[in-house]
Amino acid sequence: MRTHLGLVMLCVMSAAGVCSSTSAPESPRQFDCRSREKETFSCWWEPGSDGGLPTEYRLFYEIEKGVRECPDYVSAGENSCFFDKRHTSFWAEYIMMVVATNALGNASAQFQIPDVMNYVKPDPPVNVTVVVNSSAPSPFLEIRWKSPPNVDVRTGWVTPKYELRVKQNDSKEWKVIDIGAQTFFNFHNVEHGLLYMVQVRCNLDYGKWSEWSNTIFAKIPKHHQLEKYFWIF
Amino acid sequence: IFFYPGTVKMHMAVYLVAMCRAVPVNDLLDRASQRSDKMHSLSTLLTQEMDSHFPPYGRMQMPRPADCHTSILQTPNDKEQALQVSESDLMSLARSLLRGWVDPLAVLSTNAITLPHPAKSSISSKIQELQEHSKSLADGLDILSGKMGPAAQTISFLPYTGGTDLGQDRVTILNKFNFLLSCLRRDSHKIDSFLKVLRCRAAKLQPELC
Repeated sequence: MRTHLGLVMLCVMSAAGVCSSTSAPESPRQFDCRSREKETFSCWWEPGSDGGLPTEYRLFYEIEKGVRECPDYVSAGENSCFFDKRHTSFWAEYIMMVVATNALGNASAQFQIPDVMNYVKPDPPVNVTVVVNSSAPSPFLEIRWKSPPNVDVRTGWVTPKYELRVKQNDSKEWKVIDIGAQTFFNFHNVEHGLLYMVQVRCNLDYGKWSEWSNTIFAKIPKHHQLEKYFWIF
Repeated sequence: IFFYPGTVKMHMAVYLVAMCRAVPVNDLLDRASQRSDKMHSLSTLLTQEMDSHFPPYGRMQMPRPADCHTSILQTPNDKEQALQVSESDLMSLARSLLRGWVDPLAVLSTNAITLPHPAKSSISSKIQELQEHSKSLADGLDILSGKMGPAAQTISFLPYTGGTDLGQDRVTILNKFNFLLSCLRRDSHKIDSFLKVLRCRAAKLQPELC
């Protein structure tokens, strides 16, 4: 009898504890997506409070007809869903719902993705090289770069466009140049003896700009120095 | 090369057509994709310009992307599918979409002049420019598809039934205008992607053109 009473007391106490400090989860918020190469994409969310209990998050989505569950919760990190090539469609609307569930209940939030194209943001261009050409009467920078390696530029499915910016080391203003689809540019009007900074960025099919690439520095030799300077990173 | 002014004398037109016939297909495709690229660039700029002054409550009432008048056309929607479609089918899809925008582009053009939007003159001139590119691209694709055989010349009819009037009140007009532009942006991107896939296939021997 005493054992039974003890058990009942324990249950009442733990129930009280549950009521005071744990609750159903809050709905997820701040949903965002990104496609780096116009072939796959991933979406992620900021979880609300988990109510102090183990909480499971699941993503369901509807495209054309039929509701499906996220095919891969792992590849894009915590609180995310990765859509591989097979699960990625362009020019189609995805309606996504993230459901948070714990022992005390669930909460969900719905997000609309009108077109994955709106979320295409590539990685920055790579292998940016700047060669100082001082053999001409006035020196200039020969700037070259490559498209991000995960972007397939050989089939025509994606066309990267580039933007370049150059500034003299001590200056505050960057000079921004719209390049188009080329992967090289000769930057003129540089002065002897000065240090220049160069960055490149890209977009795919007029989507969002990538971040700027690493900065490449190029020093223009003084008049009496005739050798060529190479800066390759 | 895609542009023939109506006033050109007959023998001049014949001469120009003869010149076009002599241009290799991959060069024509390169020129065509420059036009489609420009169209896609303009439609992207237009949606951004509209977005800068769009009433936030209006967005809730926007029709769904599936309601675009061109959505009835089945098109590839990922890279793998696009690469599997034949040259003539890609050409037919691009031409059908382009043809499907002739009427709604005219509606956009007419309504842009009186659009209740602070950037209406810039929007209006961009739409006119888009219309010109669209016309010259359509002429160019007529010639190209003629060289590709009957399947490339098949056009699916995509009627626009939205009427010429966008509405009476400011919110309705802006909403419809914005919705049409979002459809246009999607389709101009499709046209551009399909033509660039075609260009790359034609440029197998000159990958630098791709």
